[in-house]
Amino acid sequence: MRRGNAPNRGIKDRFFTGFCAFMLAVFVAFILTLIIADVLYVDKAAVLKVIGSHDIRHALWMSIWTSVLTTFISLLFAVPLGYILSRYRFPAHAVIDAIIDLPIIFPPLVAGLTLLVFFSQTGLGKWIQEDLGLEFWFQPKGIVLCQFLVAASYAIRSVKTAFDDIDRRFENVALTLGCTQCASFMRVSLPLAANGIIAGGILTWARAFGLFGPLLIFVGSFRGRTEVLSTTIFLEQSVGNLEVALAVALMMILVALAAIITIRVVGGRVQLRL
Amino acid sequence: MICTEDLTFEIGKFRLNAVSIEMLRNEYFVLLGPPGSGKSIFLECLCGLRKVASGRILFDGADITYDEPRKRNIGYVPQDYALFPHLTVQQNIAFGLRAVGNSSKLAAFRANETAEMLGIGHLLERSVLGLSGGEKQRTALARALVMEPRVLLLDEPVSALDEATRQSICSMLRRVQKDLKLTVMHVSHNLEEAFSVADRAAILNNGRVEQTGSLDELLRKCRNEFVARFMRCENIFTGAVAESLPDSDACTVRISKINLAVPGRREGTVQFIIRPEDVLIEVADGNNGGENRFEVSISRWRDFGSHVRVELKGSLDLVAHVSHAVFRKIMAAQTAKLAAILPRENIHVLE
Repeated sequence: MRRGNAPNRGIKDRFFTGFCAFMLAVFVAFILTLIIADVLYVDKAAVLKVIGSHDIRHALWMSIWTSVLTTFISLLFAVPLGYILSRYRFPAHAVIDAIIDLPIIFPPLVAGLTLLVFFSQTGLGKWIQEDLGLEFWFQPKGIVLCQFLVAASYAIRSVKTAFDDIDRRFENVALTLGCTQCASFMRVSLPLAANGIIAGGILTWARAFGLFGPLLIFVGSFRGRTEVLSTTIFLEQSVGNLEVALAVALMMILVALAAIITIRVVGGRVQLRL
Repeated sequence: MICTEDLTFEIGKFRLNAVSIEMLRNEYFVLLGPPGSGKSIFLECLCGLRKVASGRILFDGADITYDEPRKRNIGYVPQDYALFPHLTVQQNIAFGLRAVGNSSKLAAFRANETAEMLGIGHLLERSVLGLSGGEKQRTALARALVMEPRVLLLDEPVSALDEATRQSICSMLRRVQKDLKLTVMHVSHNLEEAFSVADRAAILNNGRVEQTGSLDELLRKCRNEFVARFMRCENIFTGAVAESLPDSDACTVRISKINLAVPGRREGTVQFIIRPEDVLIEVADGNNGGENRFEVSISRWRDFGSHVRVELKGSLDLVAHVSHAVFRKIMAAQTAKLAAILPRENIHVLE
C-alpha cells in the first residue's frame, strides 16, 4: 500500500485501514474464485466446440456490434441530456430526472414486456413497424433497442455527474474570452467531462453486452439471427449442455475483461492528450 | 468610459439595489465592500454573465446591457482564477485568441509575448495544476490581457495570496494598468490592497453603493457611519448641538462632559468622526484652555510598526495613531497627564 503521503497513524487508524484492505481482498477473492472455478470445471472439448461453432461465433459478433452501437447511441443522447440536466433548472426537472432513472430500477423483463406491448398492441408501435418499415420485433435492430432502453440511463447518469463536478466558472470565463455557449461546451466542458463520459460508456457497454431477459421476450433467440452470447448460455444450459454454456460464459468474461482494459488504457491516453 | 445606471439584480433574498458607478478611461477603480455585499455579482453583471433586472450598462455612451459576454470585450479574472485544468499555461493564455479564430501560430506568438510581459515566459509548457498562487494569478491575468480588453475586471485578484506575493502582484497590476493604459475595476474587501492600487474607489454594502470617491475622500469625508467603520475610523461620536459659534461657520456639540467645536452651523443631534491619525497628543502643562483640547491618559497602546495605536481615556474616550517619535516623547515625559487636541478642521460631520 502506498504510504508516501500518509500521516503518522495510531493503532485505531491501522485497524481501520486493515479492515478496508480486508474487505477489498474478500471481494476480489470472491470474484476470482468464481472465475477460477469456471476455468477448472470447463471441458476442453467444449471450448473447442464453442470456438469452432459458426452459430456461436455469430452470436459473439452480434453481442459485440449491438453493444458497441448501443453504447454509441446512448452517449449521443447522454452528453446533451447530462449537460442540460446539470446546467439548467426548469419546471418538472425532478420528475424528468426520475423518469430518466426509471430504466435503472426496471426489472429487465419488464423492459422487454413493455417494448413487446408497445410494438404489438399500440397504434404508434404498429405504425413504426408496419408503415414506417422500421422493424424491431424479433429483429437485430430490436436487440439494440432493448439494450438502449435498459442501459442508456447509466450513461446519462454518469455524464450528468461529470458535468455537475465541473465548476460553471470555467464556462463563464470562456464566454468572456470570445466563446459562444456551444464553443465553451466543446472547448472546456466536454474535455473536462471526458473521464465521466468514458465511465458512462463502460457502464453502458457492460450492461448492454450482458443483457438477457428483455431480449428473450422482445427479439427471442433465433440461431444466426437474434442470438447473442447471453441467450446462447441460456439455450445451451436449458438443453443440458452445461459444459458449452460454461465455455461461452468464459468467452464473455474474457471479452468483457479485454474491452474494459482497452477502454481504460485508451481512455487514459485520450485524457492525457486533452 | 463605462458606467452603470441604477443597475438592479436579484438572486434569492439578495438584491443589487440601483447601483450607479462610473469608471473613467485609464482609471484604476477599486470596488470595496464586506463579504456578501454583492461585489462579485456586480462584476458578473458588468461582463454579461448575469442578466440584470433593470438599469443600464453604458460603454462610451453605447448601451451594452443586453450584449452577450463575448461581444463586450471586457476582460474578466474570477476570484479563483478558473484556469482550464486540461490545458497548459500557454494554451490557457491563447485560449481566447483561438476561440475567436486566430491561427494557432499567431495565438501562440501573442500568448508568449503576454506571458513574457508578466514574467511567466518560463512556465508556458507547464500544466496549470502545479502552479503557485502568484503564477496562477499571472496566468489568469495574461489570459484576459491577451484579448486586449477595453476594461479589465479583477475579482479579489490577490485575496488568496500571501502578503509578499500580494504586494508584488499589486505593484505589477498597477504597472501593467499604466503601461497598457487600461481601465481596471478591482474588487476587494481589503483596504491596504485598495491603497496600493486605486485611483478612486466605491464602497458597496448589501447591494447598495454607500459612497464613491478618492481614497482620501472616503477616509476623511465619510458619508455615513458604515463608510467610516469600513475605513477603520474608530472615533465616531454622537452629540447634541449646544450653540452656534459667533463669527465662524461652526457650532459646539455637547458630548460626554465637554463641548467640542464642530465645523458648520447645525441643529439637533450630529454624528461626527475624526481619524485616529488626526488626533494630536501632547503632555499636559496645566493649561487646559484651547479649542477641542481636554485631558486624557493612556489606557492601552500597541506598536504596529508604521505607527503606535494609543487608546486614550478621559472626558472623551478615543483612539489616536501617533508616530514613534511622538510616542517616545510622551513616554519620556513620565506623566500620566496628557492632553488630546481634536483640530476643528479635521472633524468631519456625517450625513
